[in-house]
Amino acid sequence: MKGELYTLPFQGVDSLLNFRKRIKDRHMWVLFVLPGVLLLVLVLGFPAITSISYSIQAENKEIASYTFSHYVNLTKDPFFIRTFWNTGIFVFLSVAAHMVLGLAVAMVLNSALPAKPLFRIIALLPWVVPDVVAGIIWKWMYDPIYGALNDVLLKMGLINAPIEWLSNPNLALFSVILVNLWRGFPFVMLILLAGLQAIPQQLYEAAAIDGATKAQSFFHITIPGLKKMIVVALALDIVWEVRRFGLIQAMTHGGPGVLTEVLSTYTYKQYFQFFRFEYASAIAVIMTIVLLAASLPYIWMISQEE
Amino acid sequence: MKVTSYKLNDALFKTIIWIFLIVVTIYCLFPFAWMLSTSLKTESEAFRIPPTWIPLEPTGDSYIGIWVRKNFGIYFFNSTIISLATALLSTFFGALAGYGFSRFFFKGRRFLIGFFLATQMLPGVLLVGPYFKILSKVGLYDTRTGLIIAFLTICLPFSTWMMKGFIDKVPVELDQSAMVDGCSRMGIFFKIILPVVSPGMVATILFAFLLAWGDLLWALCLTSSEPMITVTLGIARTVGEFRIIWPMLMAGSLVGGMPAIILYVFLQRLLVQGLTAGAVKE
Repeated sequence: MKGELYTLPFQGVDSLLNFRKRIKDRHMWVLFVLPGVLLLVLVLGFPAITSISYSIQAENKEIASYTFSHYVNLTKDPFFIRTFWNTGIFVFLSVAAHMVLGLAVAMVLNSALPAKPLFRIIALLPWVVPDVVAGIIWKWMYDPIYGALNDVLLKMGLINAPIEWLSNPNLALFSVILVNLWRGFPFVMLILLAGLQAIPQQLYEAAAIDGATKAQSFFHITIPGLKKMIVVALALDIVWEVRRFGLIQAMTHGGPGVLTEVLSTYTYKQYFQFFRFEYASAIAVIMTIVLLAASLPYIWMISQEE
Repeated sequence: MKVTSYKLNDALFKTIIWIFLIVVTIYCLFPFAWMLSTSLKTESEAFRIPPTWIPLEPTGDSYIGIWVRKNFGIYFFNSTIISLATALLSTFFGALAGYGFSRFFFKGRRFLIGFFLATQMLPGVLLVGPYFKILSKVGLYDTRTGLIIAFLTICLPFSTWMMKGFIDKVPVELDQSAMVDGCSRMGIFFKIILPVVSPGMVATILFAFLLAWGDLLWALCLTSSEPMITVTLGIARTVGEFRIIWPMLMAGSLVGGMPAIILYVFLQRLLVQGLTAGAVKE
């Protein structure tokens, strides 16, 4: 389709005269793509490479030497190991919960329902506020004494004593994840809803005539029909949740101790509180590798289609 | 008999769906209601035990306080300028590159598309360190310009991808007929493509705007003085203060989140189209 432009057969003298123009047009992509590529290399590629080179430099600048000691030290740093697992738990639970709740809400909103646009907007709201703001609202919701959440639970008789949502060591990470579920599921819902709407209704009708149950149509029509959307939502959500910073920074600063510390807040601390640039860069590089690995299926899928 | 039990099941199913919807609605809205309610309270009422759900003596003082007693005016100005400049720059370069990727099939195209996609995945913390050092060296640390350059790293890959998706939907015959009429490539891009994809361009600008608006990490690392900081950083700093004035903080959060709320609600459809471009071919 798109390729036709320069394989069009010549259409008379006019085209013959345009022959030189036509050849040149093939190379015009440089003019369009290059500014963006150069800008990206300059503002992104260059700092990224600088960061990688920091990560293999010795902290002692007297001797300019290269070393992998930061990476070796990371494997022995109990805080880093804890942070790494925290991030894993945070991302896994957040994304899994986003998928389940997002799909459930999308399916409900895709069915015949009055006031659909209103519900759509309501279910979108948590996602649209900056994550710092989301973190702050919930920090105040969670306040053990003055917060709304304990008050509601006490009044409903579900708990007897106020819960220390963010300072109880066993609870803190899950309290943060609960907030992240709140702010992240609408994105998955939006994407999957778009996917659901693209599945032809006739498929379900045909299945029903053939005597398929609701569960069967779900697993044989809905899920396969959503496959691509699920890949997109999963990839973007995983990447965003691994990078999540403002929410945790606003709510807990990684505390109590390092119990809610994730890779991005830990790297930030190493950089700007302890000024260990080389060590921090090593963490960031590991994060980058994890992110690129996680998003490979998505990148592969998209570039295959191109 | 069978028919009635089926109908009963159906009614039960409907009830469950409605209960589910109501629970989700409360989950979504309750925190906002609590934010609004707190923002209208006096400071002493915010610290009442047990908390009041509806302010006893509602007051708008906090909404005045954030502009008068806090520097919210400056934060808003900074956030607006920075986000707008970032959005316009990244959408312009993104549209150019998007057109290139959409219309030309050159060697290395797939590689470059992969490169753009991969750059979307890089974590901000990989870049903030070098940025801090480089910007300090060239005197752009703690400036709006520095932050704009930094935000391009987040926004440009997204803008390119979104614009490519929108341009893909414009039939290539449009370009062809214009070329037959003797229009140059740049002419086609500016005079034909951009006007046709203008709704998509608006969506891209706004999405980039909101990406920049919502950021905390970069603002925290690359600015420090009161006249240069953004809304999100201003709010985050208030939380770090020794004595948090919650009604004012809630008012600030509500006002700071408002541009995002308004823009997203109006643009959700275009946004989904842009984000899933490539994944759904119509």
